[in-house]
Amino acid sequence: MTRLELENIQGYLIRGYAHMLYSRFVYLQISDAKSFKKWLSQSWKEMTSARHIPDKSKISSTHLNIAFTHAGLGKLGLHEENLGAFSREFRQGMVSDHRTRLLGDFGTSRPEVWNWGGPRNETIHLCLMVFGNDKSANDDLEKDKIVCLNYYDALASQFDAIGVKELFYVDGQTQPDNKEHFGFRDGISQPIIEGSGRVGDKDDVIKAGEFLFGYKNEFGVYPDTPLIVKDQGDLNLLTPDAGGSGHKDIGKDGTFMVMRQLDQDVNKFWGYLNEKTKNPDGSINVAESLKLGAKFMGRWQSGAPVTLFPDSDPGPYSDVNDFGYAKFDKDGLKCPFGSHLRRTNPRDNVDDHGKKESLKLSKQHRIIRRARLYGEIYEGSPTNTTPKGDVGLLFICFNADISRQFEFLQYTWANLPKNKELYNDPDPIIGVKETVEPGEEQNFTVQDEPVSKTIKDLPRVITVKGGAYFFFPSINVLRYLSTI
Amino acid sequence: MQQNSTTILVPVIADKVQGLLDQLVEIKRNSKEGISKEFDALSIIHYARWVVIDHGKSYINDEKKRNPKLLFVIDYDGEEGEMLHKVSEISSTILDLVYVFCEGYPPLNTVNTASRKSFLASHVIKDAAVYIGAPGRSVLQIQKEKKLRDFIRDFIDSRTWEDVSPDTVHRKIKEEVLANPDFSYLKEERVSMPHINYFGVVLLGICLLALLPFIIILLLIVHFFYERKDENFTKKRSQLDNDFLTELEVYEDFKNQNQFTQLVDMKEGNVRLLAIKFMFLLSNFLIKFIFTQGKLMGIPTIHFAKWVMFEKNSRVLFFSNFDGSWQQYLGDFIDNSGWGLTGIFSNTKVFPKTNFLITGGAYKEEYFLAWSRNSELVTNFWYTAYPDLSIKNVNNNTRIRVQLMKTLSERQAAKFLKLL
Repeated sequence: MTRLELENIQGYLIRGYAHMLYSRFVYLQISDAKSFKKWLSQSWKEMTSARHIPDKSKISSTHLNIAFTHAGLGKLGLHEENLGAFSREFRQGMVSDHRTRLLGDFGTSRPEVWNWGGPRNETIHLCLMVFGNDKSANDDLEKDKIVCLNYYDALASQFDAIGVKELFYVDGQTQPDNKEHFGFRDGISQPIIEGSGRVGDKDDVIKAGEFLFGYKNEFGVYPDTPLIVKDQGDLNLLTPDAGGSGHKDIGKDGTFMVMRQLDQDVNKFWGYLNEKTKNPDGSINVAESLKLGAKFMGRWQSGAPVTLFPDSDPGPYSDVNDFGYAKFDKDGLKCPFGSHLRRTNPRDNVDDHGKKESLKLSKQHRIIRRARLYGEIYEGSPTNTTPKGDVGLLFICFNADISRQFEFLQYTWANLPKNKELYNDPDPIIGVKETVEPGEEQNFTVQDEPVSKTIKDLPRVITVKGGAYFFFPSINVLRYLSTI
Repeated sequence: MQQNSTTILVPVIADKVQGLLDQLVEIKRNSKEGISKEFDALSIIHYARWVVIDHGKSYINDEKKRNPKLLFVIDYDGEEGEMLHKVSEISSTILDLVYVFCEGYPPLNTVNTASRKSFLASHVIKDAAVYIGAPGRSVLQIQKEKKLRDFIRDFIDSRTWEDVSPDTVHRKIKEEVLANPDFSYLKEERVSMPHINYFGVVLLGICLLALLPFIIILLLIVHFFYERKDENFTKKRSQLDNDFLTELEVYEDFKNQNQFTQLVDMKEGNVRLLAIKFMFLLSNFLIKFIFTQGKLMGIPTIHFAKWVMFEKNSRVLFFSNFDGSWQQYLGDFIDNSGWGLTGIFSNTKVFPKTNFLITGGAYKEEYFLAWSRNSELVTNFWYTAYPDLSIKNVNNNTRIRVQLMKTLSERQAAKFLKLL
């Protein structure tokens, strides 16, 4: 079995840092590559690795990870030829005409009006991910915030000296019960990277090459890793391409990180559900609204899967994740085919394939999610619909093949309305278009007996505010980058 | 009504290639999001495309000098002659716009329906294997059945059905539909879904068993005398030509459907020719006997696809019209039909390394995805009659129609209602 070199992998890929409730994602531009590389030549040692620390008291109260955009690698001085060895998706970044179509970034989500990462914004070179945890406290967001920001201040005081300019930052928070702003417990189902030392259901164990370069993926081949095709820097720091090309592998133990800032319209989301489920007298039917919301999502607000708990939320918190759709809900009577969860991870029930084939297909399209919340800490519900100011989710995911993983999920499984036998049903959470063409419908079908029901005219409840593709290098490669 | 497919290959006048390319760009610019609607009026064409080949780009840097040609591919209802007549008559404007750049097209001041038709008919080339996702369904039938399904869905959504038995729901739907004069055709035109021909499958199995010794010999010959000398494709997607990919992407992923055109060269030798001809023969039988219900080797997203060999069997074209994205398309291929695809394309030049004709190849995912993209051609013009329907929708709509008209038991009615 594959064994990962955890000391060489940046920690955020393997561990979600769930106990660190406060984080700051700092987006920077390199103004002086020489000074920055000098800093990197020392500070690669400070990057948090995925090394397992059994004694919790020895875990640092702050964590730091780093990722680069394609422009950032260029600014560092990576040769044109070596920059060209990265995958097309990463080279192009999140914004191109074709990619905009795939991701569905139109209307108020169009890149031209993004806060960051769009064509009218300043070019981002790198992202520093700063985490903090007050070890004397127990799940205290405010106290973690102090630790995180103190660490950030210490780092930021050097920014001038190390040749970087801060463009902006997004503060990411985690609620102890991990609920996002619509009020649903998030991040329950995560792939487990084979060889990472983590344990879990075998259907969740995914070949390392789906998330890390230098290892075989679910197809049994090595992913398209970036190679050094024109020699530069201290090549002794790099390992040779496992694929046997003879080139040094700059990707090994690294991966790609997708970031998207998604504003959530809590009012529109629950307002729509309330409207569609209201009592004959027009008053809100809380139970029915919650139920339809759970059908949209695929889990109740507590996190309990509707596949296993079809009638009501068993509450208060659930991590239940051991279920399949083919086994418990072949006809979608509990978890509708169109629900966000079922379509983005169809488990053992892809199209009408058998269980084994379905699991194989599902495994080829998994991502590791690391979402953090921004804005007011707010738990939406049928009666709690109006947060103060903008709230949303800084969506982060890791994958070795952006095209086959993140982009496939967003386009083929979320945006396309033809999932399973459906006709006009985009993903109700992340796939709905803001405006439709004449005659075009956007519905949610609730499979039911004797016959299914159509919930019509879905509203778009998220707005993309920014986004970028990053390279998340190994710790050795960070050291290498300081030598180019 | 039977669906057919025709391929027409015409030489382009040597110095007019750029003019033709510009013309096709102009036509596309006037189209709706990359999908031209010129053939809507004919009501018999499912898909059509024009592709200019041999005007420069070669996927294997082939030095051979080739003369530019224009491919016209049409998937349609009924007979070829009748279709060519209709195209020549009703779509004359666009034909003239395009073929004025081609050798031997009648002068525009004298051209008429008959001369257009005879020009096209004289350049038809033979298809090697054709797959149809909804055999028997004409464009008109597909459109009528979509209307029927939408009507039923609206009726279902107009009231609640709690505690109504499935057979009662079925009966009420039927009454509602038949009361509407738009659907009076249902009483006269009875249709059925195509079946799997089990007798044919068994017969095919027996034939294959009888041929097994020869097949094994063929595989051994291919492996020991051919595959070891093969030049293999070893590029990854990151190494493909950027500008070319951008050109391909310009007309992709606007709607739920996409097109794919591919052109590759045959490897030399009669054994390779024998191997690919055998694979096409096998495909044709499988398509006829088994792949009749909307799935090609388990792939549930293809409307029409076909292979064509031309120039004395030295080159192979592949065309597909399908639902979803390029990524999904190829992922599906690898999982369900890697062996079939490898069996065909391993006989063409510079393919990912294979063993015994059908292993390796497509299963080398990264190389295969890159190979496929690398040997793809820009589809200069593309027409689809029903971009808003998936092939699953098309087949499901027919199933709804067939079941609607039957008298159903409670259990059968419950099953019928799941289709809606």
